[in-house]
Amino acid sequence: MIQIDISKCTGCRMCETSCTMFHTGRVNRNMARIKVVQLFQKGIDGPVVCHQCQERFCVDCPSNAMTIGDHGQIIISPTLCTLCGKCERNCPLGAIELFDKFVYVCDLCGGSPKCVEACTEGVITYFPESKKPSLAEFVNDGRKMNPSEKRLRYIEILGRAVRKEWRRER
Amino acid sequence: MEYGYGGNVLRVDLTERRNKVEKLKKNWIKNVIGGRAANSKRLYEELDPGVDPLDPDNILLFGIGPLTGSMFPASAYFTISAKSPLTGILGDSAAGGQFGAEMKLTGFDQFIITGKASNLMYLMVSDSDIKFVDCPHYKNDLVVDVTRKIREENRNFSIQVAAIGPAGENKVSYASVISSGNRASGRTGMGAVMGSKNLKAVAVCGHKSVEIAEPLAFLSEVTKIKKEIFAHNEYNKRYNLGTTMLMTDLNGIGILPTNHFQKGVCSYLDKVSGERLAENYKVKNKSCFNCNLHCSRYYVCGDFESEGPEYETLCGFTTRIGASNLEFALEMNYYLNQVGLDSLSTCEVIGWLMECQEKGLLTPKDVGGIEVSWGDVDKIREIVQMITYRKGIGNEFAEGTTKFSQKFNEEVRKLVMQVKGLDIICGDPRGLKAYGLTYAIASRGGDHLRAEPFFELTERWEEANRRFGTEKAADRLAEEGKAALVTYSEKIALLTDCMTMCKNIGLCMDIINFENASNLLTYGTGIDYTPDYLRKILAEAIERDYKLNKKFGLKRQDDTLPDRFRKEPLLEGPTSGSIVDIEKMVDQYYQLHRFDEVK
Repeated sequence: MIQIDISKCTGCRMCETSCTMFHTGRVNRNMARIKVVQLFQKGIDGPVVCHQCQERFCVDCPSNAMTIGDHGQIIISPTLCTLCGKCERNCPLGAIELFDKFVYVCDLCGGSPKCVEACTEGVITYFPESKKPSLAEFVNDGRKMNPSEKRLRYIEILGRAVRKEWRRER
Repeated sequence: MEYGYGGNVLRVDLTERRNKVEKLKKNWIKNVIGGRAANSKRLYEELDPGVDPLDPDNILLFGIGPLTGSMFPASAYFTISAKSPLTGILGDSAAGGQFGAEMKLTGFDQFIITGKASNLMYLMVSDSDIKFVDCPHYKNDLVVDVTRKIREENRNFSIQVAAIGPAGENKVSYASVISSGNRASGRTGMGAVMGSKNLKAVAVCGHKSVEIAEPLAFLSEVTKIKKEIFAHNEYNKRYNLGTTMLMTDLNGIGILPTNHFQKGVCSYLDKVSGERLAENYKVKNKSCFNCNLHCSRYYVCGDFESEGPEYETLCGFTTRIGASNLEFALEMNYYLNQVGLDSLSTCEVIGWLMECQEKGLLTPKDVGGIEVSWGDVDKIREIVQMITYRKGIGNEFAEGTTKFSQKFNEEVRKLVMQVKGLDIICGDPRGLKAYGLTYAIASRGGDHLRAEPFFELTERWEEANRRFGTEKAADRLAEEGKAALVTYSEKIALLTDCMTMCKNIGLCMDIINFENASNLLTYGTGIDYTPDYLRKILAEAIERDYKLNKKFGLKRQDDTLPDRFRKEPLLEGPTSGSIVDIEKMVDQYYQLHRFDEVK
């Protein structure tokens, strides 16, 4: 899985730009499969990306368009996908998002993720063999959140520990 | 426009709540590239020069360039321009952060905002929709709160916001516009122009892509530049300290403004240095969009936490006003950004008052009962609040030190450290001659960013000879060769502003030149740019600024420095004994530009 240490994230978003450049030849954060959240009032920045979680909330697809690849990545069949949005609603992190008639989710770039290469700060690391995490605690608690709100909530939760550490040090 | 540019210009009339989308014309933009030069050209063509800066007819511009938000490192800037309420001449101010890159995705290269809303409102701009949103409930809100609320109301946390605080709403002449929560477009009072239009914020959220004409060739230039940044001998220092490294550096050469430029060496530097800030309060690095230098920082200090501070604010609220209290400066950095005040123009009011009162030139009775001495932090806090909310004498301080000083005698007036009404930055020109010339000729007044001739501090003698015909160009105390240095670096400075790149990287780290810039622009836009063509259009753009300021009433004699720098030498440290012969350098500068022939 791709692991994130947001305590080091500076919010440069080079992971996003590298991701879209690799996949589409353009820069457009809407098409990035890793998306950086910035909490200006708290000094917290952090990228949100698919963690290939144990539960695989997203693959419960009514048109069977989603499968899991050799690296554990999500594969979407553009021919089967009806853009119903269920995977987007089900992902607790906001790591899957529809944009302009396409579903954007991390595909691990075939095994060598470009965001990992792009990050000079050691925020993003890739461990192909690591144990998959559970995201049960982040499941949407009845509130209807859009992907942007879910990403915010996730980074806010991770940010609490970082901020606690800052206060302890300072 | 197929590549690089968004391709559209947005015109907004706040009075009528109307907007109009125009195509960006290739033959209009080609000779200004984008960013600052495009904004200046717009003002030159469309602004009535006699307009009151706070009148609805003043034109407020937001501009970006063809490479903004691309893979080009540090191409994160955007420029806000208008006629300045502080100086009455060309006003503009740029900021990095994230706003420029998001503006790019809206497909608009420039916003042209006129009129005045009947109530406080904000503009929500996306590629498909322009909304005029009333927000009377945001009145007097701090910038971070406005940013958070706009994002929450729209349920979208990718929205970027450029907002004003209470100071902008109260039309303080040097109010700033703050984007990305803490990024200041500080100088020349663009926040007051927004305030005069009842415009609390401009929010952007886009869905378009940045498309490059020749992606592979472009990426190969980008890779070269990234490598140069990484390999630069100042990388680590800039990464750790950002611009606050200048506290120690400038003190070392005896030009750290101390007690309002009366001294250039500070005895308590260790208490207020960038190193101490990093050691005691920095918690992490921060970065502008797609930059691999990450030179900004986040700090936590008691009840105050924020991004920053940059050198100018740190020096401005420590040594320049005789304060040895770093924690106070960190509080002020937060406060000034959140209420939206330019730190330099604010600290000039305070420093000038302190010096005048120290010398017995102004009594408390002259200035609304205020009595303030060096480093009196409680009193400074009070003055800053009075300015923000225009309380008591703060109402007059809010017009700027230059205007306020007009009611006193010449001795008091000449102690204002300003050029053309803009309070000068924290660098003593007696030990930085090319900076002195830059302050004097800068088209927005006493400021270094029009040329940022950092080269004179680098001691690269051979390179100086090669580029400017004399080794003296790299000698900070010499006046020879400085007109040549400034006419070169003002073109590069303008180029970085048009490409919306960071000047720390482009200029101070000497990364950008006409050759790599012409490659980047050609591969980026598909329009053919050569180094010679760039030199030509940049010279034309500088001349256009000059002509615009002539329309605003500026004259040759306005290109000068305060008496202090021309007549009083510093008494201690490595710059002692030096003064600036500014007239001679300005004459040489005019000869190089042939401005005397400009009608």
